[in-house]
Amino acid sequence: MIKIVKRDQPSRAIFFFTPVLAIFLTLVAGGLIFFILGFKPFEALKFFFIVPIADKYGFSELLLKATPLCLIAIGLSFCFKSNNWNIGAEGQLTFGAIVSGGVALLFYEQEGFYILPIVILAGAIGGMLYASIPAILKTYFNTNEILVSLMLVYVSKLILDYLVVGPWSNPEGFNFPETRQFSDSAKLPLLFEGLRIHAGIFLALAAVVISWFVFYKTYLGFQMKVSGFSLKTAKYAGYKGKKMIILVFLISGACAGLAGVGEITGPIGQLHREISPDYGFTAIIVAFLGRLHPVGIIFASLVVAITYLGAETAQIFMQIPKYTGQVFQGMILFFLLASDYLLFFKFKFIGSKK
Amino acid sequence: MNTNLKISNVTKIYPGCVANNNVSLEFNSGKIYALLGENGAGKSTLVKILSGVIIPDEGEIYLNENNLKLNSPSDAKKNDIGMVFQHFNLFETLSVFENLIIDSDEQRESLREKIDTIMKKYNFSIDLDIPVLNLSAGQKQKVEIIRCLIRSPKVLIMDEPTSVLTEQETSELFLSLKKFSEEGILIIYITHKLKEVMQLCDEVAVMRRGKLVSVSEIKNENIESLANKMVGQNLKTIKKKKAKTSSDQLIKITNLNFTSEDPFETNLMDINFSVNRGECLGIAGISGNGQSELFQVLSGEIISEKNSIEFNKNYIGDLNPQERREYLMAFSPEDRLEQAAIPQMKIFENVALNNFKSSNFFNNGLINENKIKEHSKKIISDFNVNTENIELKSQFLSGGNLQKLIIGRELITSPDLLICFNPTWGLDVGAINYIHETLIKINEQNKSIILISTDTDELLKLSDKISVIHKGKLSKIMNAEEVTSEKLGILMGGAN
Repeated sequence: MIKIVKRDQPSRAIFFFTPVLAIFLTLVAGGLIFFILGFKPFEALKFFFIVPIADKYGFSELLLKATPLCLIAIGLSFCFKSNNWNIGAEGQLTFGAIVSGGVALLFYEQEGFYILPIVILAGAIGGMLYASIPAILKTYFNTNEILVSLMLVYVSKLILDYLVVGPWSNPEGFNFPETRQFSDSAKLPLLFEGLRIHAGIFLALAAVVISWFVFYKTYLGFQMKVSGFSLKTAKYAGYKGKKMIILVFLISGACAGLAGVGEITGPIGQLHREISPDYGFTAIIVAFLGRLHPVGIIFASLVVAITYLGAETAQIFMQIPKYTGQVFQGMILFFLLASDYLLFFKFKFIGSKK
Repeated sequence: MNTNLKISNVTKIYPGCVANNNVSLEFNSGKIYALLGENGAGKSTLVKILSGVIIPDEGEIYLNENNLKLNSPSDAKKNDIGMVFQHFNLFETLSVFENLIIDSDEQRESLREKIDTIMKKYNFSIDLDIPVLNLSAGQKQKVEIIRCLIRSPKVLIMDEPTSVLTEQETSELFLSLKKFSEEGILIIYITHKLKEVMQLCDEVAVMRRGKLVSVSEIKNENIESLANKMVGQNLKTIKKKKAKTSSDQLIKITNLNFTSEDPFETNLMDINFSVNRGECLGIAGISGNGQSELFQVLSGEIISEKNSIEFNKNYIGDLNPQERREYLMAFSPEDRLEQAAIPQMKIFENVALNNFKSSNFFNNGLINENKIKEHSKKIISDFNVNTENIELKSQFLSGGNLQKLIIGRELITSPDLLICFNPTWGLDVGAINYIHETLIKINEQNKSIILISTDTDELLKLSDKISVIHKGKLSKIMNAEEVTSEKLGILMGGAN
């Protein structure tokens, strides 16, 4: 007989094992779904997870998708670690893209080394501005940051819509809902000829290193940790709670804004309606799958990026709807939360020993 | 009719701890039994087994020779075992009657009649139609007792029932319990308060570390003998020397008010007091009368008007806890696990929670881990924390050791004033003694203490002056020698 017993303490090994278990269970469940839909499960999984990254181009695409996910998730982990629930990274990404896109359009027929840094900075500031709204409303008016940050996502998307259809639309663009192409000086340089992977990946790697340093080596990181465990303790220790809430939202917004910059100045090169396939929401899954740890987030962003690619490949080669990608993302989160149960409980086989 | 309850060889093992080790006991109606033991001795586990909340790994329970299988609380109810827990299980917003009818299968009318009879019989007077939140703790307890009596139980188990009661309510409760016992209900009374055992009970069973240590008749015991059995060693008694009278004022609170937006908090009204150097001011009261709010106002978790708190000739009412620490104040909150420390963090990380400038725990925003660790080692050895591993997560410290760590952390700055709130709550006698000695030492070094506590004995032992808080108001401040626990009890109940 199997009995479920509470663990004395959450197991550290299990802590890192559950994400792996979650991915495995997702594959099993995914295979099952493909089987029910009438596909050969192993073949479908192969098209989903192996074919897309089997060549150089595919691998570059993987890094291209993983870059914004990683960047946003790093930013979100600042919030999540300190008990602030920013789920509006998609909005901060969009607004960052709008601001940096606006700046890039100002320079549309100019060249110069100074343009790109300004454009990048503008994106970070745009994201910060947008993230400051839920932060300020939370600290001074006690609103719920989950609701505010989420609803602002739709506001930013509508602003973008308005801009690309109206004032910013390309005068020579035959009324397509898009802006002019940015000048080459406003675009992130490509790393390899013929591949789409761009310099934005260095922003993501820098964010990983900086966040690791902040989390584990600084007073701010310590305060975030304490606040994450107990707001009562943070108050008792005398931490300035409001300042910290605003700070983590700004960091998180800046990261999301930078991800937006990476998209529009990288593969897209202009503003249009669809600048992000919900990277801002998917990054929430990435942050938790990576256990809010910078290194974990790198791996998680790669895993989740495959679901984007796999969905496209599967649609092309097997006529499986590409929304299957979202099903996989959902399943990963579902199984991760479910297998977290093992952190606190273990199975005991009774009869083997007393 | 006679009731006989027998516990036979009951064992319950938790990971890393044997909560009940082969316990056998026999109870007969007509007597009141005390089950005595320190926190963690296993008495709660045992009564939870009797009430069906916990299923034992081994052992049997017999009621009048019938083997009982208690797999859930409802099994215990069916077998006429009633239990009143330390924490009330009542719906605050429902009326008394609604609370009583919830788990009863009787018709409204007949139930009301039954309750009326019970209340008349035992002289309870409770309005059945007002919401429970308007009742005092003593009245709420009576509701819980009535809930048991409706089922005419053969056994009534009371788990630390007096922890929230005033002296007067306690003696009323004892009268009722004696009456129940005369009527043939078998009463098992769980406590760690020795005085109550002597007052109320006929027989006493002492538990220690999961084992039954002794069963004896009260007439053969006294407080010292029971204490020694409970702790397993001879305890030295601590006495405070009378403080040198000092007129050097350290802290002065003037017209301090606090109005909360939270309906479950208590407002503080017009608080005025002062504490001199070397003095201990005790603040008594039944929990929930504004102690927590008073502590927070004093620690700076709640900020008040600048001039309302004068400390060492500085006005500090508008400073947060960290800023107040720089003026040499220290704070030990009531809630060790959710506020004073973070169980999931390591010992040395918890030490860093008390961050003051000269500590150099954090330089230019960076963590100075060596400094923190050095400090932690000093606290551990100076304050007898029973571990050498400062990397240990603090959840593995016992309550007593954790409290020593917290008090040590707060005292390492050698503060002029320590404010503590229920510093020995839930600790075993050994740790309580240690904390008390430490507090007395602080006073001897001409440093001051504000001791907010719900334990009257502790207050009488340690304080030089005592005041009582009731519904957010402080009584006048009295000299500790002129105060008796009876007098405190009256003030705690709100009378003048």
